[in-house]
Amino acid sequence: MFLSAVLGPLATLNPNKLQVLGGASQQLSCLHTSISLDDKHWEKNNRKVYPPQLPEEPRRPAEVYHSRRQIKYSKDKMWYLAKMIKGMSIDEAIAQLEFNDKKGAKVMREVLLEAQEMAVKNHNVEYKSNLYVAESFSGKGQYLKRIRYHGRGMFGIMDKVYCHYFVKLVEGVPPKPEERTGFDQAKEYVQGLKNRTIIHSL
Amino acid sequence: MMNLPALVHSLRCSLLRIESRLLQISGLDTQLAPALAVNGPSLLPQTEQDPQQDEEQSPELTPGLLDSILWMAAPKKRRTIEINRTRRRDERKFPKVKKNIETCPECGHLKQSHILCGFCYAKICKETSMIRQQIKEMEGGPLRAPTVETVVLYEGETPSEQEGGKRIVERSRKRPAWFRN
Repeated sequence: MFLSAVLGPLATLNPNKLQVLGGASQQLSCLHTSISLDDKHWEKNNRKVYPPQLPEEPRRPAEVYHSRRQIKYSKDKMWYLAKMIKGMSIDEAIAQLEFNDKKGAKVMREVLLEAQEMAVKNHNVEYKSNLYVAESFSGKGQYLKRIRYHGRGMFGIMDKVYCHYFVKLVEGVPPKPEERTGFDQAKEYVQGLKNRTIIHSL
Repeated sequence: MMNLPALVHSLRCSLLRIESRLLQISGLDTQLAPALAVNGPSLLPQTEQDPQQDEEQSPELTPGLLDSILWMAAPKKRRTIEINRTRRRDERKFPKVKKNIETCPECGHLKQSHILCGFCYAKICKETSMIRQQIKEMEGGPLRAPTVETVVLYEGETPSEQEGGKRIVERSRKRPAWFRN
């Protein structure tokens, strides 16, 4: 009865899937009560519910996971664009993709705008510009196979490539990548050499 | 689709056999030895090559007329994944981050510094196409443009003294803010 009283509010928050984190009730995690089988792993991250934060803890920034599947583009070509926008603020990323001439840039821009809208509507993000791209990568989709005819009766199997694109937006200012100069790297290398000792010695 | 590989394989084998027969007949085939020292091409049918040999050897190994190893360039070794990665992830392969993006003061959309704003240009194109449609209706056919200048007037506007001799194209809407006379 006590357990139901504790889990009651959480159940109302997320009626489909009870996934309580925090080590206390491990046996109730991943209870499949939903019938939707078309939800893939990346989208399920959106349904993660954290236990309420203590007052002295720093505020946990909001996270939004979004993806698009079976884009008619190559995963290797998509990766270049995904690498470009990784770590940018969302406005900067959208601006860069708008003026990029690649086919994947248009699709990626739509995905980012959708994710931004989702964040504001469903994930309690106050300002739509206060987001940055934490993770962005492409994956291989399901390919179709076709025949490519060569000379002398030879043939090759042609793959019609598709890719998926995944993005994770986090609320807040984008973190600055730490700049390590060559001098710092050299200093660390020399320190590593100095730390060497002889093991099993007297 | 299931029988296709088998079909094509049998086709390939038959083509190879035809090719070897042609080579034998033409006398360019120097595989079989010894041969009789007789002038002229040997038209006697030699013992056929093992059908197993055909299946084992891939078509690229049997040297045809144009596929001699000395002639075509081919990779010597497989490129390792490390070499492939360093080539694919080189700096020049990445798309460059553009620093010349700003906002259009008229509409607020994004634009590049040296290029017209896309939204504003589209809006002007729309109005221009409407004006052109009006002109088309007025002229009523090709090659009937008058030899005088044209002036576009919107609702509630009268032509001034300057526009006395010009052709007037009337548009039944309010004058857009960006189209000043």
